[in-house]
Amino acid sequence: MSSGHEPAPEGSPSVTDTERSRKKRNFFSYGALAPAAILVLGLMVVPIGATIWHSFTNWDGVNSQFIGLKNFDLIFHNPIIYQVLWNSVIFLISVPLILAASLVAAVLVYEKVLGWRVFRFLFFIPMVLSPVIIGVLFSTFFLPGGAVDQLLRVFGLGNYSWLGNVWGARFVVILALVWASFGFGMVVILSAMSTVDPALYDAANIDGASWWRRLRSITIPMISGALQFLSVINVIYTFTSLFAFVFVITSGGPGFSTTTVDYYTYITTFENGQFGYGAALALLLFLIVLTLTIAQVRLFPNREVQQGS
Amino acid sequence: MSARSRLARAGVFLVLCVIGVSTVYPLIFMAFNSMRTTQAFEVNPFGLPTHVTTASYSALFSTVPFFASILHSLIVVVPAVVLATLASSLAAFVFTKVPVKLGNVLFWTMLMIMFMPGIVVLLPLYVEVARSGLANNFAPAILIYTAINIPYGTYLLRSNFRSIPDSVVEAARVDGASWLKVYWRVIMPIGKAGVITVGILTFLNIWNDLFISLVLLHAPNTEMVTPTLAELSGKYTSNIPVLMAGLLLGAMPTLLLYFATARVFIRGMLSGAVR
Repeated sequence: MSSGHEPAPEGSPSVTDTERSRKKRNFFSYGALAPAAILVLGLMVVPIGATIWHSFTNWDGVNSQFIGLKNFDLIFHNPIIYQVLWNSVIFLISVPLILAASLVAAVLVYEKVLGWRVFRFLFFIPMVLSPVIIGVLFSTFFLPGGAVDQLLRVFGLGNYSWLGNVWGARFVVILALVWASFGFGMVVILSAMSTVDPALYDAANIDGASWWRRLRSITIPMISGALQFLSVINVIYTFTSLFAFVFVITSGGPGFSTTTVDYYTYITTFENGQFGYGAALALLLFLIVLTLTIAQVRLFPNREVQQGS
Repeated sequence: MSARSRLARAGVFLVLCVIGVSTVYPLIFMAFNSMRTTQAFEVNPFGLPTHVTTASYSALFSTVPFFASILHSLIVVVPAVVLATLASSLAAFVFTKVPVKLGNVLFWTMLMIMFMPGIVVLLPLYVEVARSGLANNFAPAILIYTAINIPYGTYLLRSNFRSIPDSVVEAARVDGASWLKVYWRVIMPIGKAGVITVGILTFLNIWNDLFISLVLLHAPNTEMVTPTLAELSGKYTSNIPVLMAGLLLGAMPTLLLYFATARVFIRGMLSGAVR
């Protein structure tokens, strides 16, 4: 943060001069904040308020009437909701997998073996692809008689209806998600590792510490902040951003077995036109994410996440 | 180097190769299979195509308005990226170098809503857009994408600009530069790597998004790339080569952007620009 003081001009400024420069400064500051403030308030904060209000109404997109907690009552009596929430919990399996894959990629790249820059370049590729492209690609791999089945045939295994099967479909979604996400995780970990003092590793080497021992006793503790950040981010992502994957890989099926909260909200709102009910669902999703984030920050008290720097 | 550690390094190299193949092979898979016939794909989806055909590409262009969808995406993404990057960098500049009272309120508001599920925001906006007769109009989509990308961009640029010493700003002020000039001529050039990284991230975010584009721009004459590809996958489960052609072309813009900017982008990401 800057000192908040206008740098004093050379010589002795008159009172009106500093008064005028403070005014100019404020004028600039508010002017420069205006675009961000107007867009964020008008297109995010106000809509959030509208969603909160409409979650207590039977809004159909045109008319709305206050109905108190009826929407929430309906939500908690809807068996599909429990299934959908349970699905999101199952998809959380992806979080430790993403963390593990990111850690492996980062630690190995950090070894700086032949061609490590090329590998780092390649590992980023999934990160720049749309979940739509990744999702369609993975569902193609797992089509009946598709690439994966053909590979399995080599080992004498028969065709398996991956996407027609509850756990098969979940597996494909999780696999796509891990593949899509580990590049970002790797960068975050690598950037945390670059702040570790190399002298620590040298000292460990002199003491004859094994590679595994150095990983466990130096690297992981030193990057715990980064790991925690990734864990928080990926848990949020699992709950709020699987829409595109689910949309193209499984359409939520078989049954509702891969439907996530955001996908279900999309269906009820934009396909069935129940906007009030959808608003309540969206709000519920937000509260879940908020609770999980607070819980994670509390469970692993760590300066970095709380400071957000 | 001892034999043991040489062996260990060979092992590391091998594992890196396996991960590398996993990230590159899908691209090769798309490319090769887009040049095969459906029959050839069913016989062997791996390896080089024996008979190269461009039939899938012609089939792709005749079934979906593919190039139009690329154009629609560009119409939305380019202005949104420019607007979001400008608004975020201006706000980040004020937060770090010219703080004002209400600035903190705005910053904390942004932090709090940064990870807000998109649907919470989009639901009332969709209704409002539809009611104003602006459905399938690019302008609301541009503004909504801009707004949604401002909090994260501001957050990243704030930590980036914070590492620029205040003395640089003070020196420029003493030389008589206006605040606007300090922002544009001093802060933006010094923070260039961070600004470009945020710009690229914003581009990727918007280009790759499905949810907002699906909801706001669903008419054929406004549809963006991602909904077009999603729709294609519904139509073509039996003709994989056409689907692969679409995926490959759909991936091209972001891949090319990444290849062209990899040096700056990777450095920006590694310098802690992402959190």
